Amino acid sequence: MSSQTAIVRISGISKNFGGLAALQEVSITVGRGTITSVIGPNGAGKTTLINVLSGFLKPDSGTIELNGAVITGRKAHAITRLGMARTFQTAQVFGQMSVLENVMVGCHARTRTGLAGAALRLPGVRAEERAVREKARGLLAMVGLAGQASMTAASIPIGSQRLLEIARALASQPAVLLLDEPAAGLNTQETRRLGELLLDIRRQGITIMLVEHDMELVMDISDEIAVLNFGRSIARGTPAEIQASPDVIAVYLGED
Amino acid sequence: MHVRKNIPLILLVASVAAAALLITDPYILTMLIFIGIYAIATMGLNLLLGFAGQISLGHGAFFALGAYVSAILTTRFGAPCTAAAALAVALVCAIAWAVGLPCLRLKGHYLAMGTLAFGEIIHITLNAEVELTGGPSGIAGIPVLSLGPFSADSDARYFLIVWCVFIALFVLTRNIINSRPGRALQALHGSEQAAGAMGIDVAGMKLTVFVLSAAYAALAGVLYVHFVAFVSPQAGDIMFSIKMVTMVVAGGMGHLWGGLLGAALLTVLPEMLSYFEDYDMLIYGGILLAMVMFMPGGLTQGLARLAGALRARRTAVRPGAVTGGRTEDPVPRRTAP
Repeated sequence: MSSQTAIVRISGISKNFGGLAALQEVSITVGRGTITSVIGPNGAGKTTLINVLSGFLKPDSGTIELNGAVITGRKAHAITRLGMARTFQTAQVFGQMSVLENVMVGCHARTRTGLAGAALRLPGVRAEERAVREKARGLLAMVGLAGQASMTAASIPIGSQRLLEIARALASQPAVLLLDEPAAGLNTQETRRLGELLLDIRRQGITIMLVEHDMELVMDISDEIAVLNFGRSIARGTPAEIQASPDVIAVYLGED
Repeated sequence: MHVRKNIPLILLVASVAAAALLITDPYILTMLIFIGIYAIATMGLNLLLGFAGQISLGHGAFFALGAYVSAILTTRFGAPCTAAAALAVALVCAIAWAVGLPCLRLKGHYLAMGTLAFGEIIHITLNAEVELTGGPSGIAGIPVLSLGPFSADSDARYFLIVWCVFIALFVLTRNIINSRPGRALQALHGSEQAAGAMGIDVAGMKLTVFVLSAAYAALAGVLYVHFVAFVSPQAGDIMFSIKMVTMVVAGGMGHLWGGLLGAALLTVLPEMLSYFEDYDMLIYGGILLAMVMFMPGGLTQGLARLAGALRARRTAVRPGAVTGGRTEDPVPRRTAP
């Protein structure tokens, strides 16, 4: 990967929880416009990596660059505003709000209306509200949830909630989308549709960093794969290279 | 669609206008004024508790502070009521900001305890600062609200002022709820993590809604003190803070009409139960307990269920009637967690 096309540069990130080294000197470069997947057995540090990237955890050492700017230690909401949005391993929708409102919340980072403007319904606020609603409807259509727009988010199936999370994250107009196991709990057909959706998102110029256990999905859509094991980055390459790597096979199938 | 959504509000405006013209009984007018005042306070608390999901057991203190500041400014310094009211609300906002900044780092029970402690500190201070507040005997002789030549010197006029303020605030609050900041504060209730991931400054948003809800309580306190013309530390003690929370819960958390319904219920019910003399508190408690058990979403949920049941019966009466594809759950979207 040439340095000009890197959008996220993770350099030497370490994170310890007490005595447990969740991440040890992990360095991964994510190419602009790619789908880069992070795989590894349970407890390899994948979710910790997402949490560190999105500002939910502070790394003990190392730096993260987004578009050339260091974002290490910034707060979660600031990182979203800088263009990196995420979803959660266990879907965290705003359960009591409607599906449409959930996506409208996603537009928060890219809109401006404050309390006074909202209370008085100033003309600019109305226009912004309409635009947000339209955009949210468009995103729901894109992920295939247009029909559920007025339902409460808690009432839709878990697979739909995952799609809703993706639509909500896209509403913040991210340059990079971090997905934490979006296929967990989906059936084969739903997973295939998810894969198509992710390819569609990439075509729109959004870089995707995918943490996923579903190897078929990962191998199908990834441009690059990084493998973590016990908090260390042990391999990286194209899907074909990863599938052929003896180290990776050893990690997944166990060594004799 | 637009008109349909506004039917309850139109009905409220019409009933307020009708009541102002028709009701002359001072007892009923007084009760309606108190309902309006409490409804303003609980609308604010509902923003915090019902919509943003943050507890406060100290909102009675904001009510009391609003009342006291306005009382002191008008009686001691001869300030005009409107200026005193504005200053009282502004000062309470500043206090709420200073209190919320450390307190809102707490969650759940700890936040409840923190705000409870704040309420107690204010209560003790109001009792102890005899020179400024009159101590336990309070402040009397507070002038009635007036703006230029208009003076709210009759109950009917005061009723109109209180309810116009409520309706105006209701519209403004509804606008906030259905907007960017309103969705952000509701998102806090759903998942603080996800809210943060959506670019919402979680700590900042909590503080904003805390201060905003305190402003409603302060304004209610101002309206209270210029109506009763007297204030003592009892006005906003812990019992009142709890009563405010009860009003929100009984009315319907996270539902804008909830505050009003809860305020009405908890104001009218004790009056009606006084008929039972010694047993009134027992029955009162029993009713509240039954409500929590059978109507956890509060009165708004109960009413919505009733409306849904009626609608279902109406469609059942007409065999083959097309339901128009409306499969909405008659239960309101926000229920008690």
